[in-house]
Amino acid sequence: MINLAKKDISHSLGKFLVTAMGVGMLLGIVLIMMGVYRGMVVDAEILINDINADLWIVQEDTLGPFAESSRVHEDLKNSISIIDGVKYSEAITFQNIQLPQGSMPIRVMAVGYDPFGNINPINPDRLIEGSKLTKDHYQIVVSKETGFKLHDELILARDKYEVVGITEKTVSSGGDLLVYISLKDAQKNQFSYSNNRVRNDRERGITGNDTTMVNAIIAILKNGYNTDEVAKNIKEWKHKSVYTKKEQEDILAKNLIERAAKQIGLFTGILILVSTIIIALIIYTMTLEKMKEISIMKLIGIPNSVIIKMIVEETLLLGIIAFISGNIFSHLIYEKFPKRVVLEISDAGLLFIVVIIASILSSFIGVKKVISADPAAAIGG
Amino acid sequence: MNKQSIRVENLVKSFGKGDNFVDIMDKASFSVETGELIALIAPSGAGKTTLLMMIGCVEEPTSGQIWLGDEKVYDNKWLNKDTRKIRREKIGFIFQAHYLIPFLNIIDNITLLPQTSGQTKEESEKVAMELLKYFDISEKALAMPSQLSGGQNQRVAIARALANKPKIILADEPTAALDNERSISVVKMLKKIAVEQNVAVIMVTHDEAMLPLCDRILKIENKKVVSSLAKESTFI
Repeated sequence: MINLAKKDISHSLGKFLVTAMGVGMLLGIVLIMMGVYRGMVVDAEILINDINADLWIVQEDTLGPFAESSRVHEDLKNSISIIDGVKYSEAITFQNIQLPQGSMPIRVMAVGYDPFGNINPINPDRLIEGSKLTKDHYQIVVSKETGFKLHDELILARDKYEVVGITEKTVSSGGDLLVYISLKDAQKNQFSYSNNRVRNDRERGITGNDTTMVNAIIAILKNGYNTDEVAKNIKEWKHKSVYTKKEQEDILAKNLIERAAKQIGLFTGILILVSTIIIALIIYTMTLEKMKEISIMKLIGIPNSVIIKMIVEETLLLGIIAFISGNIFSHLIYEKFPKRVVLEISDAGLLFIVVIIASILSSFIGVKKVISADPAAAIGG
Repeated sequence: MNKQSIRVENLVKSFGKGDNFVDIMDKASFSVETGELIALIAPSGAGKTTLLMMIGCVEEPTSGQIWLGDEKVYDNKWLNKDTRKIRREKIGFIFQAHYLIPFLNIIDNITLLPQTSGQTKEESEKVAMELLKYFDISEKALAMPSQLSGGQNQRVAIARALANKPKIILADEPTAALDNERSISVVKMLKKIAVEQNVAVIMVTHDEAMLPLCDRILKIENKKVVSSLAKESTFI
């Protein structure tokens, strides 16, 4: 049996392919949008996974350093370290700063940690050049994407820092690139005031400034201890909020990603709807262009099923080619995006199913037109 | 021996109601035998195409009876709801223009209907090649319609009408788009087909020069169909 769809497409192959690729670019954007969401999830968990602490101890009644501002005393780590079940505890700070880089400063998140402590937030797998911090002062490990090279010098606040290490794919939950400095430098940058500010505070009767604060205490537990029980123990005795790693991930997902996910989901839905309408319009136009031939086919006795098969096959093929070109398009451009885009096969699979359903729905418009075509229209010119 | 191929009895066709009521055909009766080439003539708007569509099971009459071959297909209603099947099995259509499917090559245009009717690709292509040889355009079998001249395409259109071996051919002004020489050639071809393949051919035409080539002339006159032998016709 002659495959009418194949013959029709072969006859105007260029036009068909260009049309399909046009729709494909739209589907590529849908894939990128899904990838942006996946990237946000991955980004949000990088720092938590790299630190890999069992417990996060933060200011009481706050959700922790990623969702809300939190300040606790640095020496809290000492009292945490002697709680039953705690193996190590360390202080850590997080602060958004601008790194000077040419005419355009780069926004980064500085992670402050004790270079000689027991918990190192730099994942060795991501350290691609140099080393982690080896001194208490004026060293910095930067993300490759900041553009700094090993041994570059840069000014932070009033001090000069040397780049001693380069990491890759290290970002905060907000997508900012990560840099690592020593806890002492971080505390100085975050909690020390300028001389003018100190003088102004004195005039106001405010004296003293505690620079030994940190944003959180992180703890690793000994084997065999239940994290929930140790967390409960710390909450009762230290009047702090304590979160397990899982709870910290949930806070990130709920507070930082959920709304963005809804936004992206809505945008993706609209794009899919637009793609469906465009496919339907293309099929409608393609069917309209063939109305004379369809009338003739109906007049000479070709059954509707043969003509409908042609319309449905063309629509499906349009959807499939659009899906393939959309995938190629998204893979060609996704690395150009400033924030992480993660393209997953499962998302592509889901989109494929949606495209097939959308194509079938779109073909109904063409099919309706075929059924309503009057065979008598073929007679009389 | 020739036998009756088309029989129409008391055919009535009207459109509209009240002030818009128009009756085109009023108890028209006629018959056509196999092997005959019939010219159907009438002034514009008299109902030639409508009559052709009623015989071709495309347009439903208001009342009357129609036989195609031995089968009564209409008796105040379609006796077989699947009129497209009747067309597929019994009737070949030829139009003013060739109306070949532009995205199918010549052989596919001819074999589409037979393959839809259940013939294998090989069987239908064999018949198609025989028809193309018959019409002297076998070398164009793989060409696209856009690569053929108007006359060649019209011959392909006739071959397509014959591909399913119909016993009736309905031709709606098949020479309208052709010059005089080609028109005569096409009508002679239709006559040859009618005789050699035992087919009844009804051809709507405005071209009086074609009438002497036909066996009989049917004229729609006062909403009836009047028949005369072409050579004795006073219609010309």
